[in-house]
Amino acid sequence: MMNDDMSDLTDVSAVNDDVGESFFDDMDFDTGPLEEELRRAAAILDPVPAELRQIAVEAFALHDLDARIAELTFDSVVDAIPVRGATSVPRMLTFHSGDVTVDVEVSAQGLLGQVLPPQSASIEVLSGPQAALPLVADDMGRFTSDVSPAGPFALRLRTAGEVVVTEWLRA
Amino acid sequence: MTVKAAPSAAYDDLPYTRGGAVDRADVGALVQSAVDGDAAAWKALVEGLSPLVWSVVRAHRLSDADAHEVYQTVWFRFAQHLGRIREPEKTGSWLASTARHECLKLIKSLRRLTLTDDPQVLDRVSEDRTPEEFLIDSEEAAAETERIRRVWQEFGELGDRCRQLLRVLMASPPPSYQEVSAALGIAVGSIGPLRQRCLRRLRARLDARGA
Repeated sequence: MMNDDMSDLTDVSAVNDDVGESFFDDMDFDTGPLEEELRRAAAILDPVPAELRQIAVEAFALHDLDARIAELTFDSVVDAIPVRGATSVPRMLTFHSGDVTVDVEVSAQGLLGQVLPPQSASIEVLSGPQAALPLVADDMGRFTSDVSPAGPFALRLRTAGEVVVTEWLRA
Repeated sequence: MTVKAAPSAAYDDLPYTRGGAVDRADVGALVQSAVDGDAAAWKALVEGLSPLVWSVVRAHRLSDADAHEVYQTVWFRFAQHLGRIREPEKTGSWLASTARHECLKLIKSLRRLTLTDDPQVLDRVSEDRTPEEFLIDSEEAAAETERIRRVWQEFGELGDRCRQLLRVLMASPPPSYQEVSAALGIAVGSIGPLRQRCLRRLRARLDARGA
């Protein structure tokens, strides 16, 4: 086990408010067993819910090396200036993969998006390993859904040339 | 990778090791097998690393519903990126870091949407499980239950930083310091000293209560 390393005083002193009286530092005891006890407590009182573990096992079906991943390049939650006083602002997302860009607006009313450059595409809104809602993007690349994604979601697009999947996100 | 779904007496006999080296030596191999289509390898990854992901999510004190969504998002994204992750043997750190970022993003979006954002309000631990469901009915088990309850309660009374660090450390199998660093965004070198202090603090609280 690591011993207290005084070279890290800056980091450690930042939490002194949390950690309390420094006289505890002089108490020497084996911290391993206490950590083990905590581990046991967590396993009993706050374990991974079984249904969640099962969903993660089933998520193997989402493994698809043939699809290109469109990475999130803009998320209004992170990248935009908050609108003061506005309570339900649509979330704006932009994904990029090579020369394909997907803009998506998620609001309580549903989902509104556009594929760029404009092109028709068949789209699936994925919400897990099993569930998918089919949509169609018109010749201008526009698509809409009146179902607002709840929880994790991704879009799978089939254009003329390829299959693109957006990075999984929590809506 | 071994799976310790439920605590057992045998667990006490294991040497105290600091994560990674033993339990996670084969993570890279499991990832490669999963990439090649081996569902059993994927399942082993889920079984072995779920507690780490869950601990990171819990350390950020989200509501149960949000915690569930972040956990799922992390695994869906891992399945999606499987075969594209640069250092498969560091999958634990990848998962921990992804979980952290999703937690922070969620906290940020909650701040935006609500003015009454108070972490305390969001702090709910699921109450639908009792230790009694998991432990056999005997006097020894009752004493164990009581001790675990007390440890958990005192842990909950610690300051934010300590509670967060310890919640990640108590994943099973124990996370490596690289994983803890990825989970909390703190330097590897500061984890050891902070861990010592937090556990001493917890010990002192327990001693003060005569535990």
